[in-house]
Amino acid sequence: MAEEKFVFDSLQDSESIRIFLQSLTEGFEKGSITLSTNGDTIELAPHGLLSFTVKAKKKDSTSKLSIKIGWKDNTQPQPEGQPALKVD
Amino acid sequence: MITFEGLDENFKFIVLEVENQARSTHKFLKSPSRKRYSKIISRDDYIDNLKTIIENKCYSRIHSDKSLDRNQINKIRAIQVMCVNLEKIADYFVNIIKQMRYLDDQFFINRYDYEEVFTIIMERMESILSAYHEEDMPKALFICKSEPMLDNVYKAVFDRVMNEIGMGRDAQSLITILFIFRYFERVGDALLNIGEAIIFSLLGERIKIEQFDALQQTLTKSGFSDSFADIDFSAIWGTRSGCRIGKVEQREATRSSDDRKQGSIYKEGNLEKIRKERESINRWKQTFPDLVADIYGFHEDSNKGAMLVEFLNGCTLDEVVLSGDDEYVRNALFIFESTVLETWTTTMESLPVKTNYIWQIQSRLEGVLQTHPEFWRIPKAVGEAEIRSTEILLQQCADIEDELEAPFSVFIHGDFNVNNVVYNHAAQQIHYIDLYRSRDFDYVQDASVFLVSNFRIPIFDTEHRGRINSVIRQFYGFAKGFAEKHKDTTFEARMTFALARSFYTSTRFELNFKFAKEMYNRSMFLLEKIQHYKGGNWENFSLPEDVLYY
Repeated sequence: MAEEKFVFDSLQDSESIRIFLQSLTEGFEKGSITLSTNGDTIELAPHGLLSFTVKAKKKDSTSKLSIKIGWKDNTQPQPEGQPALKVD
Repeated sequence: MITFEGLDENFKFIVLEVENQARSTHKFLKSPSRKRYSKIISRDDYIDNLKTIIENKCYSRIHSDKSLDRNQINKIRAIQVMCVNLEKIADYFVNIIKQMRYLDDQFFINRYDYEEVFTIIMERMESILSAYHEEDMPKALFICKSEPMLDNVYKAVFDRVMNEIGMGRDAQSLITILFIFRYFERVGDALLNIGEAIIFSLLGERIKIEQFDALQQTLTKSGFSDSFADIDFSAIWGTRSGCRIGKVEQREATRSSDDRKQGSIYKEGNLEKIRKERESINRWKQTFPDLVADIYGFHEDSNKGAMLVEFLNGCTLDEVVLSGDDEYVRNALFIFESTVLETWTTTMESLPVKTNYIWQIQSRLEGVLQTHPEFWRIPKAVGEAEIRSTEILLQQCADIEDELEAPFSVFIHGDFNVNNVVYNHAAQQIHYIDLYRSRDFDYVQDASVFLVSNFRIPIFDTEHRGRINSVIRQFYGFAKGFAEKHKDTTFEARMTFALARSFYTSTRFELNFKFAKEMYNRSMFLLEKIQHYKGGNWENFSLPEDVLYY
């Protein structure tokens, strides 16, 4: 499957960043986050175990906070008794 | 006179040989003969060889002789260009005699006046050596003038031949005649290059003849001496706002103490721009005689204008800011702010004026996107949080801007970049330059352009950046103070529009992608702020001042 990617790079202030973070929080609650670019969407479904990394850095007058959340999709085991996929 | 042993001899030979070639071709047209034909062909081989020898000598001299000064190098470069063009001319003559065989009757050519052509060419050929060695500018220009003259001859022959072809006879001969005169026309092009090469060797600047004409006219009108040998056309500084700019000075030896000591600036370019700049300067002069340069001369032709203006002594304000001398900077900024205050106050008209900052972005989009195609956001969404596209933001903000107006107008500079302000420390005087956009408008336009032109100085070390930021802080405070004093309650709102405009359009001059993106993101951020505030009371809107600092 081709890699799907969403990038948004911008300048915000504390007020506007709150709107984005809130939208993401709601996505975690629902178990679904939709990211779209001009109609092309990437659907993320965070569930189960999530890896979570927070990094913070402060140097001179620059500060940086990065939050990384990752998970594996389709990790549920296949139900027993189902025939394996066969291609003739 | 500078001489180059060997090279001068070779150069003299090639000129004489091509002159001979012209004479033989002339004779051949009058009475073609096999003997003359072979002579011309074999002489052409000799000229080819001579050209190669001269080129080799030119290059090796420039590379090996480290004692050559700039003037000498320019002279050698001129010889190289001239001999390439002389060799081309010789080739054209060969082509002409080769064409003769396609005439049904060898005397067909006599119906067309080629005598005039040879007079034009021979007179020029005979001037090359003396123009070059005696550094004779009028002779160089005389050589250049052959080009339009031969163009005219070709045009007349072309029209006549077209007419005659229409009659249906002698098609082959007529087309051959066209080819022959076309080669004469190309001899004119090569002579023009030769003339320009001589001018280059005199002035040390590559200058196109039409620009030179404009310069000459402007200088004459402005009362400069009529001998070009006395003028040091020291540099064409390159182009700014589509105009070519150079500094013109009289040479030391001929300069008397009463002469304009500082020389002048020569500016040439689009007629409308130059005209507009002259108008603006005149208007500034009426109220603030010392603020802008004097105009010494002005010249225009069909689509180009040229102007000779006073050279203003001093440093541009960005040079002052980066100089590092705090006392000097403080002083300059003080004089600068007093000047701005005076111009704003004096020219203030208390009639409201509509602004067009978003339109200014829209009309420069092409330029920005050519440099940075990425700076055009398409609509996105992060969950429920929507991100508007650049296009929509601009449309919506343009509608919002329509609700706003500046409470009064002032006569603005129009391109108030930090490097369009000159500070003369000795005279404690500020000067404005590059004034072709001056008009009665919102002072916030000048203020925002000035602020962003400081921001976009591509210097990032902490010390210099700190200095730039403090200039921005001080000037923003000054502008805000002016707004308060004059009860301009929507100052911050208009400033937000104007900064969004300046940040966005400045990216087209910035190739450092990271820095350009900083400015682009700031512009989008400001547009979003405006968009979110829609429907609010603009008198209460506050500019997120942090965007001004990097």
